[in-house]
Amino acid sequence: MPLSRDVYAELEQVVGPRHISDKPWILAGVRAAQPSSPMKPPSPEAVLLPGSAAEIQQIVRICNRHGIRYIATISSLIGFAYPSGPGTIILQLKRMNQLVEVNAQDRYAVIEPGVRHGQLRTELMKHGLTYPVAAVGPGGSVLANFACSSGDNHCQHGASRTNRYLLGLEWVTPEGELVRVGSLANDAGWFCADGPGPSLRGIIKGFVGQWSGMGVVTRIAIGLDAWRGPPELPTQGRSPSYRMRLDPACHKTFVFKFPTLEQARDAMIAIGEAEIAQAVLKYFNASAALLATESANEFWELWDSGLFQRELARPLYVFLSAWTHEELEYEECVLRDIIAEFGGADVDERIQRIYSDNMDFYILVGALQRVLRLGGGWAPCKLSGDSIGHMFEVGKAIPEFITPFIEQGRILDAPDNWQIIPLEYGHSAHIELLFLYDRNQPDWGKVPMDFMRASMQADIRNGHHGTMPLRTVAASQAIGALFSNAHMWANRVKDAFDPQRVSNPF
Amino acid sequence: MEREVFTNPLRPEALRTGAALLQSFAADESGAAGRVPSQVIYPQSREDVQRIVHEAIRTATPLVPVSSGPPRFHGDTVPARGGVIVDFSRMQRVLRIDRASRSVRVEPGVTYGELIPQLRAQGLRLSLPFLPRANKSVVASRLEREPTTIPKYQYDYMDPLLTLEVVYGTGEDFRTGSACGPGTLDTLKADLVNPWGPGSIDYFRLVSAAQGTMGLVTWAVTKAEILPRLQQLWFLQASDPARLLQPIDALLRKRVLDECVVLNRAALATMLAGDGMRDYAALARALPAWTALLVVAGYERRPEERLALYAKALRDITAAQGVEPGRSVPGAPGREAEILHLLSNAWTKSADWRIRATGSSRELLFIAPMSQVPRLAATVDDVAAQRRISMQDVPCYIQPMVQGRGCHCEFVFPRLPTDSAAAMELDALHREAAAQLLRAGAFFSRPYGDWAQLVYRDYADGVAALRRLKGVFDPHGLFNPGKLCF
Amino acid sequence: MNQLADFRHTMQSCNHCGQCKWVLGPKTRGYDFAEICPIHMQFHFDAYSGQGLLHIAQELLDGELQYDPGLRDLVYSCTACGACDTNCKSIRDMEVLDTILALRAKLVEDGQGPMPQYARMAEAMARTHNIYGRPHAERAAWAGEPAGLSATTSQPAPVAYFAGCATSYQRPDIARNTVRILEAAGIAHTVLGADEHCCGGPLWRTGQIDAAARQVQENLDALQRRGVQTIVTSCAECFGTLRGFYPRVADFPFEVKHISEIVQEALDAGRLRFSKPLQTTLTWHDPCLLGRLSEPYVPWQGEIKAFGRHVPAKAWRRGQQGVYDAPRRVLGAIAGIEVVEMVRNEENALCCGGGGGVREAFPEQAQVTAAERIREATATGADTLVSSCPFCQDTFEDGLARQPGAMRYRDFTQLVVDAL
Repeated sequence: MPLSRDVYAELEQVVGPRHISDKPWILAGVRAAQPSSPMKPPSPEAVLLPGSAAEIQQIVRICNRHGIRYIATISSLIGFAYPSGPGTIILQLKRMNQLVEVNAQDRYAVIEPGVRHGQLRTELMKHGLTYPVAAVGPGGSVLANFACSSGDNHCQHGASRTNRYLLGLEWVTPEGELVRVGSLANDAGWFCADGPGPSLRGIIKGFVGQWSGMGVVTRIAIGLDAWRGPPELPTQGRSPSYRMRLDPACHKTFVFKFPTLEQARDAMIAIGEAEIAQAVLKYFNASAALLATESANEFWELWDSGLFQRELARPLYVFLSAWTHEELEYEECVLRDIIAEFGGADVDERIQRIYSDNMDFYILVGALQRVLRLGGGWAPCKLSGDSIGHMFEVGKAIPEFITPFIEQGRILDAPDNWQIIPLEYGHSAHIELLFLYDRNQPDWGKVPMDFMRASMQADIRNGHHGTMPLRTVAASQAIGALFSNAHMWANRVKDAFDPQRVSNPF
Repeated sequence: MEREVFTNPLRPEALRTGAALLQSFAADESGAAGRVPSQVIYPQSREDVQRIVHEAIRTATPLVPVSSGPPRFHGDTVPARGGVIVDFSRMQRVLRIDRASRSVRVEPGVTYGELIPQLRAQGLRLSLPFLPRANKSVVASRLEREPTTIPKYQYDYMDPLLTLEVVYGTGEDFRTGSACGPGTLDTLKADLVNPWGPGSIDYFRLVSAAQGTMGLVTWAVTKAEILPRLQQLWFLQASDPARLLQPIDALLRKRVLDECVVLNRAALATMLAGDGMRDYAALARALPAWTALLVVAGYERRPEERLALYAKALRDITAAQGVEPGRSVPGAPGREAEILHLLSNAWTKSADWRIRATGSSRELLFIAPMSQVPRLAATVDDVAAQRRISMQDVPCYIQPMVQGRGCHCEFVFPRLPTDSAAAMELDALHREAAAQLLRAGAFFSRPYGDWAQLVYRDYADGVAALRRLKGVFDPHGLFNPGKLCF
Repeated sequence: MNQLADFRHTMQSCNHCGQCKWVLGPKTRGYDFAEICPIHMQFHFDAYSGQGLLHIAQELLDGELQYDPGLRDLVYSCTACGACDTNCKSIRDMEVLDTILALRAKLVEDGQGPMPQYARMAEAMARTHNIYGRPHAERAAWAGEPAGLSATTSQPAPVAYFAGCATSYQRPDIARNTVRILEAAGIAHTVLGADEHCCGGPLWRTGQIDAAARQVQENLDALQRRGVQTIVTSCAECFGTLRGFYPRVADFPFEVKHISEIVQEALDAGRLRFSKPLQTTLTWHDPCLLGRLSEPYVPWQGEIKAFGRHVPAKAWRRGQQGVYDAPRRVLGAIAGIEVVEMVRNEENALCCGGGGGVREAFPEQAQVTAAERIREATATGADTLVSSCPFCQDTFEDGLARQPGAMRYRDFTQLVVDAL
């Protein structure tokens, strides 16, 4: 439903003429198809740039009054950050970009939606603090990552998903009430997400976020960990060949290979039990090759050599990060014991050198966008979590459904391009399979859905918790009953809070 | 229309109606006003629970879940509006202990006293609350977000609770996190250790600290940890808890510590006193005002090296903070092994350490950032001083949580059940201290009894949201009505 | 020259990752000074960014977007500073800036562009060969006085100093100082004098490709007539245009050097020595066309195969080869000078705000960016902002006039001459 001029004027009254537009060229900036999809998202009716929670409340109330759908976004990196249907207005929260507070003593930071990972991470280093930084690049919104989307990150072995680090928050409900969640409820500060009583935090975000399907989160606090590096990390080189080095006396990166997935799994579990290392990964191999090269052609040269396929089919990447050299030495001894016990070996020195030369794990594995370099279709699959053991079961079953896609030439021949990242010292783990497909193929647009369907079917067949069911109505109706009827409960909660179904409904 | 009477939907032996039994649920240590329940029913399975709920829907009967044995402290199991007690004590199966995923799945009737030895046999342990009583339900403890003594194992306030199965007020069952599916538990191969979701809602949070108002949990998975091969206990002492919390903060930032708890002399003396508390007074005289119990450990790989490394880190970090740790209990040397034992096991010296002194007690507990706890604790002292009530024998323990980013503080006011005047004084102190704490910035994350009114009074926006949730999961308002804001 | 349709791969590859708007992770230094796109910083709508312009270009190509004066204004609000391009290319194989420039060229080709100010500039240039419409005869007037620049000749030589419009007409001191430096370094050189035309950069960057190409040809003829092998510039705009545009439209067998590189080489060889100390703390502003956009352009014709494979391999311009070290080393070699860095420096430098014709068409917008850059410069503690671009100088001096006492601006050549 296009916006009437009256409604536009109402909205304009809230944000001011400079911060609203329905001009087609402004809308063109937020409705392009993702490279992974043949479908253009619905064009919004207008884009608004609210400047405060109070403005958002007013906008949301106008939307409820007139039955207009809205979605709040910031960087719009992922496909879910787009309107779920036509007749939607986009609230881009970029002007709400204050780093409200860094409380070094109580280890939390309070931020608005527009604060980006690049800003916060480096600002916190000055305070000797850090947090689990998602691999979305420096322009990714911290708030969106913590409160609205997924929560996995590459250093969560020694920490956790961002879900655990989300503290007090301010939330504009789908109908426009401002609710203070957690310890903010009683003006007790930002330090706690849960309570008083049953935790409202539970409807803000689950395994993944609500993608703006449950109102708008306008301000959050996040918990912080101590940072083992210097206040400023010197950078050598120029784009794209940056090098960042942490103090080698306390930080060290290893890459090992294993004869079987079971051995890699057992080593990963043992590392967690020993409570050593900041990051442990069974990492993607094609993505690793992309990160190690500086152009698509360089990637192809490396990939065609077969080195990464041979050496990194069953790898463990381990990043030790210690406070003292003695601690590093201890951790390395334990690590070497474990690797030897489970039959691991050092990878080819050419690969090891890549990581020794650039020990900043955060940069090396955290620059998600580099993985997109090939420019064609690209999509993540699986994206689930459970024990390390179960995630390896899921991974081991990947050939069941991936092989036909490779044999038919529909995706890049990279069957081992999946990762498992443990968290909380191995208490659970996350799995993700990245598949790349060629947009020059005539049926490229069908590949992602076909692939994900095949993956889900395999999971269901095998009893694997390999994929959280998608929030879309179609997916929920098809398989929701197999997932404890989660879609039904989600819909009931949605109805209770968003009876008009205006907050980016799926 | 006359209300129909709740009729036992289970086996005959599943229902009890003895007067003494019913009366035992009508009150607890909190002094909460309640009614005598009409029946106590003992489910033994999820299907039993569903039958109970359906019968409750049919008869509009309140259901009050209880999992732990007495003494109970919070009034949360005292029926505010009568109804049926759903006593989970016969759902006491340890469904699975899984070493590889370091997790354990238990029914609500499983207690710390039962579970700890079973885990130890498999080289595992739980991150325990401080001196949990033997009959305390593990599931209830986790659901209530009770603090545990090893803050490094806690990544948020929900930790170490993982997944769970719940029966909602519609009678439908639901499994959270990676327990949700696909398929049934018989076909699902997952280890049920991913707590989040399914999808965009953290259902496990919605039943936490809910005092049974959001659903009846029929099993839960909680984390277990590797049993240390070596442990070393260290002590810090000070006249002011702030002097202990600063070095503890530094230690927790670097994850040096396993167990870590700060006790005042009354708490430590209560913990250490022998049978009948005969030596309590002597201990209380000898002990410092505040003592921090700090444990470093070595696990299965190179335990000696780890222990040495972390003990050195402990010494270095505390030295940098200007305090000196010791290896023997200040004022009670030679009791170190006993303390380690107490920290690692369920409490068995009495029904609960909190009622050890006089047979009864009132608790006052809140959470706050560690930096704020000394100031807030002093608020309680001030209120007591104004009321001329001695705090000398009031145990207080301060429990850092969530890697040290938060902290639990708990006062345990001994009460003589026979002294009604003193009890009234104590009630007044309790109320006023809670009100003052709230004003001073303490967070009653678990608002039991009267605190609910205090915390929800000025939280209209949140209360409205909570009631919407309640409407979804307990649309008939059957679960423990009269509690929290419901 | 590539047409807009040649950049389909770039348009379709954009994942909306935001890297065109934010400083790269390894170069970010905290909360402040982390944004990189001057227009996104100011207007916040995604359309005002490299990503937004790519998607606008795609919709225009696909016929999903119609021309409108508002659309034209948006396209020309971009300073074409290339920060989006360099940042994107640190992780991707995409041609963001070239797409934006091709979009402008398409607007011109379709009769929808450029902005009136640039059209007038092109008309003036056709008549007078400079961007100001000033008499061509005055172009080399800077060389006439003061006395002592007699060595400035138009005779054949292997080295030619290319002064450019802004320097010749507005900032003659820069030209004179450059010649003084060349003389002090003992470098025999020529100037093009009346044969010098505008480098064509302002036309290229506003989409007026044909007009720009005509300037190119005039200059190439003059350079060849003098037997020039190396072109020296003191103007970033000319420098970046010579390196980045000329090879797109003509054979370009010349070496192009910036005066800072000449000085550095002379210092290294002992042919030049600083004798006077200058007590100042300065910060160097990397002009876009001297820094990230100054890499020599290598024409590429080929095919983008499956999964991004470029056949034949393509020489990417990722901003690595800009002139970053030379000015810093030279200035740092002057006794008494302390060079302090802004957060956004080298390939991540923030545009002055006036580039790409923005100062002429949207002066207030340019000043918002300039104020932000001056804020960043001031935050270093420097008392002097130094650069080597008369266009940046215009923009900064406008900005500094609004902030009296904030700091002063100096051209690179002035400091060098002062220290000789």
